[in-house]
Formats: sequence, C-alpha cells, structure tokens
Amino acid sequence: MTSEMRAQNGAASAASPRPTPRAAVRSEGASAYTPNVDVCDCGTEVRIVADMPGSSADVIDVAFDDGVLSIAAAVPARELPGTLVRQEYGVGDYRRSFRLGDGFDASQITADLTRGVLTVRIPRLAAVRPRKVEVRTG
Amino acid sequence: MPTIRSGFAHPFEELREEFDRLWGSLTATPTMRAEWAAASGGFPLVNVAESDAAVTIEAEVPGLDVGDIDIAATAEELVLKGSRHASAPDGGDTGSGRPVTWHRRERLAGGFERRIAMPVAIDASRVEARLVNGVLTVTCPKSMQAQPRKVEIRTT
Repeated sequence: MTSEMRAQNGAASAASPRPTPRAAVRSEGASAYTPNVDVCDCGTEVRIVADMPGSSADVIDVAFDDGVLSIAAAVPARELPGTLVRQEYGVGDYRRSFRLGDGFDASQITADLTRGVLTVRIPRLAAVRPRKVEVRTG
Repeated sequence: MPTIRSGFAHPFEELREEFDRLWGSLTATPTMRAEWAAASGGFPLVNVAESDAAVTIEAEVPGLDVGDIDIAATAEELVLKGSRHASAPDGGDTGSGRPVTWHRRERLAGGFERRIAMPVAIDASRVEARLVNGVLTVTCPKSMQAQPRKVEIRTT
C-alpha cells in the first residue's frame, strides 16, 4: 500500500479481512459494518470494489468530498422464519471511507451496484494522468 | 520434493534441500480455499433459522450469479459449492499502458465448498433457493417425520 491511499476509517479491516461474526464498528454515533474492498489504481482511474450484500441501489450513498470518497448503505433488516440456530454474520448498515487526495475528477465518478457488489470508478484529471512519452529518432 | 537417496547424501546437499524446502514454503501462494477458510471459517458465512415447517439458510454471496453456485441437498445436509471471480485480472492493463496496482485486496476469490449439517431431517426434493442482491436464501422444508405433530388427548 502506498501512502497516497489509506483507508480513513480507523476500523479499516485490512488486518482482519473477515471477522467472524462480522464485527460492528462505531463511528459518527451509529454502528455500521466495514465492507471488504478491493482498491486498485489503473493509472487513469482508481477503482473501489466493495462487497455490500443485501444492498440495493436506492439505499447506497456514494460521496466525494475534499479528496475523501465515502460509501455507505442503509441495509434493510432481514427476518428469517423461526428462531436462529446459527448466526455467523450480522445484518446492518455499511460504511467506509477512503482518502484519495487531489487530482481526481469528481464530476466523472461513477458507481454501479451489481449482485450486492458496489464498484466505484474515480477518474484522474487528465492533467495528472500518467502519459507515455514517445521517443523520436532522427 | 522427494529425492531418492542412494547411500548417504553430502551434508551440503541436505542443507541445500532444506533451504529449497524453506524457500518454497515462504514463497508459495496459499490456495484460495485455504485463504477463505482462514479469513472466515468458511465461505460463504451462513445464518440458519428453524421453524416448525422448515430450516432456512441465508448466505452472503456478493458478486455471485445464479450460475456460479451449485446447491445440493440431502436429508441431512446442504452443500453450497461454486466459485467467485476476482474483481479484475491480476496485472491487467486498462489501456493506459500501465499494469494495475492493488492497494487493497480483501475480497477473496476462488472456489469454495461449504457443508451445512441440518438440525433435523429435511425433504430434499422440496428445497427452494432465491438469490437477491448477493444474498442467497435456501428454504428446506422439514421431512414429515421431523415436523411437530399435534397430539390429541382423549378423555375416555
């Protein structure tokens, strides 16, 4: 991981990818789960892929403010019929934020939710994209 | 790596093998299934509920499509089997002429198999499954023998 990008949330779960059952983290006074993410830098854009099962597009909130990308989802409760005889995970809201820094084009950020996986693409401003320089001869 | 020993090996030869073995264990990539197991005690994680009529299993399977999961049921257990794709190919190129750099890789990919023992006998022929927003719900009706039966009390 580079210093350019660090999970801002103090409870970033890089050290413990998947606690069992999922541990709730408290921030801003309400408890929320930290989704597992893949973050990759593709040069022209940074892509964040987050596992947020149980979320639909209408409950997800993606915001980019002052170099910080925040993702959140208000996940509706799910009731199973009868009594729980085994519980390995909890159902609740998701929240996580990432400090990306400068050089991104906030107006071009796109977010897509497919089968409980949120993909956010944050394109770099053209001026700061890596540029391949052609070497001329003669 | 097994080697055939004839008589005795030179001590340095043995030392070299020992280093090879050690180096191999340090650099080997653990199998995805081992990672899944280490990270979560099994994938997918499940919640199980029991009512008078059925056992319901709910599993979080973000990113999986109907074709990615095989569900097999017997009277005693349910087997969830399949695989999850990585979010982008390793070292992929996106047209910028530069390979991607991963800052975080918490979403594990690869094959999985999870066996869930049923608390009571179920009717495997009537098991139904739904997949919505990355959440799999499998409803397993109990077998007739396992369902509670109201017993009439006679007074004569």
